Amino acid sequence: MNDSSGSSVDLNYQFTFKKVMRDLLIVCVLGILIALLLRLADEGRDFLSYLIMSQAFGLATCLMMIFSLWLFKPRQWMSLFAVILAAVGCGVLIGMQTGRWILESLHLSGPAWPAKEIVRTVLLALFLCAAGTYFFITRKRLRLRGESLEKERIRRAEVEKEALEAKFRILQAQIEPHFLFNTLSNVVSLIDTDPARGKAMLLDLTRYLRTSLARTMPDKTTLNQEMQMISAYLNIQKIRMGERLSFSFDIPEDTGQLPLPPMLLQPLVENAVKHGLEPKIDGGKIDIRASRDRGMLKIDVTDTGLGLSSFNPGGVGLQNVRERIELLYGDQGRFTLLENAPTGIQATIEVPIHD
Amino acid sequence: MIKAIVADDEKELRSYLKTLLAEVWPELEIAGEAANGSEALEMVDTHAAQIAFLDIKMPGLSGLEVAGKIAKACHVVFVTAYDDYAVEAFEREAVDYLVKPVTKKRLLQTVGRLKNRLQTSLTPPPGTSEILAEILARLEGKPDAAGRLQWIRTQHKDSVRLISVDDVDYFHSDEKYTLVVTPAGESLIKKSIKELACELDPQKFWQIHRATIVNVSRIENIVRSLTGRGILKLKNRKETLPVSRQYLHLFKQM
Repeated sequence: MNDSSGSSVDLNYQFTFKKVMRDLLIVCVLGILIALLLRLADEGRDFLSYLIMSQAFGLATCLMMIFSLWLFKPRQWMSLFAVILAAVGCGVLIGMQTGRWILESLHLSGPAWPAKEIVRTVLLALFLCAAGTYFFITRKRLRLRGESLEKERIRRAEVEKEALEAKFRILQAQIEPHFLFNTLSNVVSLIDTDPARGKAMLLDLTRYLRTSLARTMPDKTTLNQEMQMISAYLNIQKIRMGERLSFSFDIPEDTGQLPLPPMLLQPLVENAVKHGLEPKIDGGKIDIRASRDRGMLKIDVTDTGLGLSSFNPGGVGLQNVRERIELLYGDQGRFTLLENAPTGIQATIEVPIHD
Repeated sequence: MIKAIVADDEKELRSYLKTLLAEVWPELEIAGEAANGSEALEMVDTHAAQIAFLDIKMPGLSGLEVAGKIAKACHVVFVTAYDDYAVEAFEREAVDYLVKPVTKKRLLQTVGRLKNRLQTSLTPPPGTSEILAEILARLEGKPDAAGRLQWIRTQHKDSVRLISVDDVDYFHSDEKYTLVVTPAGESLIKKSIKELACELDPQKFWQIHRATIVNVSRIENIVRSLTGRGILKLKNRKETLPVSRQYLHLFKQM
């Protein structure tokens, strides 16, 4: 703690009437307790004398302390320390004089207080006060440090969260060039051989692009809107992959209108195609099923593709979905990946329904 | 008669290329159409094709892999949708490539080049397989992805759950099983710590004890105990993990 003199301090002591009264009351109670203890320990004086003396000491010291803190407003640990000690020193002397004067005027004065005892009392008070102040200052400093660490941690977590959200916004607007050019090549080749299908494919591409690009705004989308984009995507892939791809949807009516943030379902479907079915020679099937159960919207994306292994890590899409669910819902959302028998994976997202 | 094969997993693109080729090079015989890499390999062999038009991204074997196997016997033309690396690589080298959608004008150039080559020699230029090997290495030999364990299978009742290693806080072994600890819970797997240590990415996972491997990104801090061991604190976890003396060097720079 060698930086104690240099670092600044904010005691945050409010000099309000209420606060001052509360402190004085605490001091009064403490004074009564001390007087009782002294009376019990020592037969020399009566209780009233002890009470008057302890109240005089206590209140004078306390008032001096509050007054000097208010007057000097120490901003450094060392100056705070000095102000408190000086205030206590003065407070003890003033308190003692006042106490004696009251006792004398009430004719309660008992045995006189020798000078030696006064010096001893002042020194003892100063020592106790120094120890007490050091203890409280240290505790306060530790707490301040703990708070700033906590603040720093929260700030860092928020920065990370923002960075992640920014990443998703970029991902959202991103269209894989490979997908785009492949689709366009197909359209070009279909124009001559099968113009109707070429036109349908171009319309699907338009639908897909419009939703991808328009969603750069973080709007609330519904499951139905998501499914429109996904069906456009799958229609395109169906033309490309032909017999190798089949798919089915099961979206009950009571789920379609539920809000579902973008970039949750679509990456699961695209992953299933890209890493599950496209690299598989025979291709396979994708099933998308939604259901609502006890305040949760549950969506399964099941494929019969290659499945995940060290050789097929499945891209970053699945990781992104997991991160995003955590970011959006914390403990309330869930993302699970199961192995589908005999091959492929079943990805499930469960998100809370907010009315 | 010169024979060629066309390989693409997308039927429409295959037939489109065939139609274009018939227009610009009517004498060329398209001996076969392949829908994946293995088929292409077979066809080149059975038809003794001199030219192969290969899509790069195909299921089974990729176009590059097929080319690597047939480059000595066959002139290869790559047909690619979009691939930065590949295009850049081919631009510098002798191998020809076409970008989808293929245009008639560009295909005419390729055909001209092919005719030239076929006239001068019936075998492809030397060095082609070396170039291909280099391209292959560049495209697929991304060192970080080389066979590293990414998904862990764990049994859950009657289904197999897949956990991404990035979700794992740490692995801790019992005598027989290994405990996989994630923020969502714990599960047991049969893989030993020894096996995991070999298969996991050493950049992301550190073995810190005979029985423990920890995800580096989850480490909060480490303190030295009086006995000289380390005590590791993880982010968002209550328990601490002991670090054996022999692994303490990992934390020197922390």
